[in-house]
Amino acid sequence: MRRLLLGLLAVAGLIAGALRPAVAEPYLAVQFGMKCNQCHVNPTGGGLRTTFGDVLAQTVIPAEHLDTGAAPWTGELGTRYLRAGGDLRFDAQATQVPHSASVQEFSLEQARVYLEANVIPDRLLAYIDEQVAPGGSLNREAYVLFWTASHDWYVKAGQMYLPFGLRLQDQSAFVLTTTGINMTTPDQGVELGYEHGAWDAQLAVSNGTAGGAVKSDGKQYSLNAAYVHSAWRLGLAANENNQASGAKRAEGVFGGLRLGPVSWLAQAEITDDRSIPNGQGKQLATLLEADWLIARGHNLKITDEFLNPNRAVPNGEQTRWSVVYELTPIQFAQLRAGFRRNDGIPQDNLEHQRLYFIELHGYF
Amino acid sequence: MPIDRRFGFAFSVAVLLAACAGNGEGLDQNGNPIGSGGSGGSGGSGSGAVTADLQSIEEHVFTPICSKCHIGGSAPEGLELDADHAYQDLVGVPSSEQPSVLRVKPGDPDLSYMVQKIEGAPGIVGSQMPLGEAPLPAATIAAIRQWVANGAPNVSTGAVMSQVFELRSTSPARGATVAPPVRQIVIAFTHEFDATLVNDTTVWLERAASPDATRPASAEDAGADEPVQRIAVSLMLNRHNPATLIVRPLEPLAPGRYRLRLRGSGGAALADLGASTLQGDRTIVFTVGAP
Repeated sequence: MRRLLLGLLAVAGLIAGALRPAVAEPYLAVQFGMKCNQCHVNPTGGGLRTTFGDVLAQTVIPAEHLDTGAAPWTGELGTRYLRAGGDLRFDAQATQVPHSASVQEFSLEQARVYLEANVIPDRLLAYIDEQVAPGGSLNREAYVLFWTASHDWYVKAGQMYLPFGLRLQDQSAFVLTTTGINMTTPDQGVELGYEHGAWDAQLAVSNGTAGGAVKSDGKQYSLNAAYVHSAWRLGLAANENNQASGAKRAEGVFGGLRLGPVSWLAQAEITDDRSIPNGQGKQLATLLEADWLIARGHNLKITDEFLNPNRAVPNGEQTRWSVVYELTPIQFAQLRAGFRRNDGIPQDNLEHQRLYFIELHGYF
Repeated sequence: MPIDRRFGFAFSVAVLLAACAGNGEGLDQNGNPIGSGGSGGSGGSGSGAVTADLQSIEEHVFTPICSKCHIGGSAPEGLELDADHAYQDLVGVPSSEQPSVLRVKPGDPDLSYMVQKIEGAPGIVGSQMPLGEAPLPAATIAAIRQWVANGAPNVSTGAVMSQVFELRSTSPARGATVAPPVRQIVIAFTHEFDATLVNDTTVWLERAASPDATRPASAEDAGADEPVQRIAVSLMLNRHNPATLIVRPLEPLAPGRYRLRLRGSGGAALADLGASTLQGDRTIVFTVGAP
């Protein structure tokens, strides 16, 4: 019976792929018109894929599905109560900075392992996201998540990524570094989520120290809400972090739009960090991304970013351009080749960095 | 209009609408208003080489690179690296990733977690820093190591150079009795010395030739009038730490009492890069015990 269900899921995935073939990351959600939790165990996206997400990743995303004769991988470790997954990214990259020697290197960007224990199937789960390389083991997420019977509400408690706008793969995007809310800065706290119909909303209360020691009684409040239509989505995000050194506030608007084979992502945000000395904490960051699905398994990602690092002072703006070609020839394997160009004030060489990279991304 | 041309048109419009990078007018090297006294100050990431002092490291590394992320109340791992917080968050503070290791252990770059992170050393937790960017240049890392080796002072180069050039410590330490074999002696100065002045007339090793040469040495025991045997050594610079000198005997030291001599007086005496000599000659006596 289970094999039959999985088979049906795979067929459904293939049909969906034939209609709307796609590749990876948040734009997938836009291309498929789905919420993040359709493909990820974490309702806010990233990390371990759901059974649906696993099947989709094997049957729809790659240019070719290698038929091994076995049922698709669903992450189950011999029992429906325990599931696992992982991601590995290995790069060959060259970095150029004016007036500096260029750096070429192989780099294991990260290897992550995910583990989910469905203590009460569909209602209560324990989840771990562990970065196992490079370097020693580093816990990213570890939480317990409880769904109501209707699956409209959930409560999550533990260490988690905070909800704020688009959860992009590129952690160095301006919109992620400006807020400081990304997948390198999980925090400990509690998150309440609402997933009903087209609504997708979260409210989190956390320490606000991004994994560091607690220095005060101040807390960080994160609010994220989006309306998800099959062809577009629009969301608002707000964050306030009250620390002893001063409060940091961020507000953002984000959205997605599917136009034929092109998925558009956009986010704009302003931050006001009063913990930064000399009043330099007022920033503005924007992102515009187009993902063009040239053919099944072939995606061209173009990103244009803008950063005003100090809204109180003119002439310091920075831009960042990225062109990334993503090829997913078969299930579980993706090749990415890209170029990122930074531009900024003439007197700072580091703001004129050029990055060329080829990345092998394995996932399961 | 075909969909791909529509895409090209739309993206072109988006590009035209996108803002350009700033011209930097009125800003210093780190994008702060000139004269604002901002965290970047003058000198910034684009000018000159980084030197082994906190101010230079802040201007070239912490402010333009690290504080893109490590700033504000929600800085990763609670580590803020803007000029107002870098020193207090780094020096003598346990790492949150490896609490048994200090982020910066003054005098010991090898056991400073920040150094390990920027070098991508084995055993670190998580990724090499700076995250998602090329590793720092070797010269920059060397300067940071040197700052740590110098004791991680919260002062600029000028202030460091004004410090008295002096012997900080040796290993084996003065008066110590150590077990054989002893293959090297490490001499640490307060800051970088002038390597051109290191030779067998300024640094040498002697072994006491008296019958009771294995008796423990005292810190005061210089044994000035004792017959001695000069030991053949090679003098090696430490590429990771220009404030330390390694004295390596050609043969492991046999049991006995030894005197390490440093000449800080007379012509071409040991001195730092500012030509400040040691405050006189130094003798360090130690004993190599029986196996």
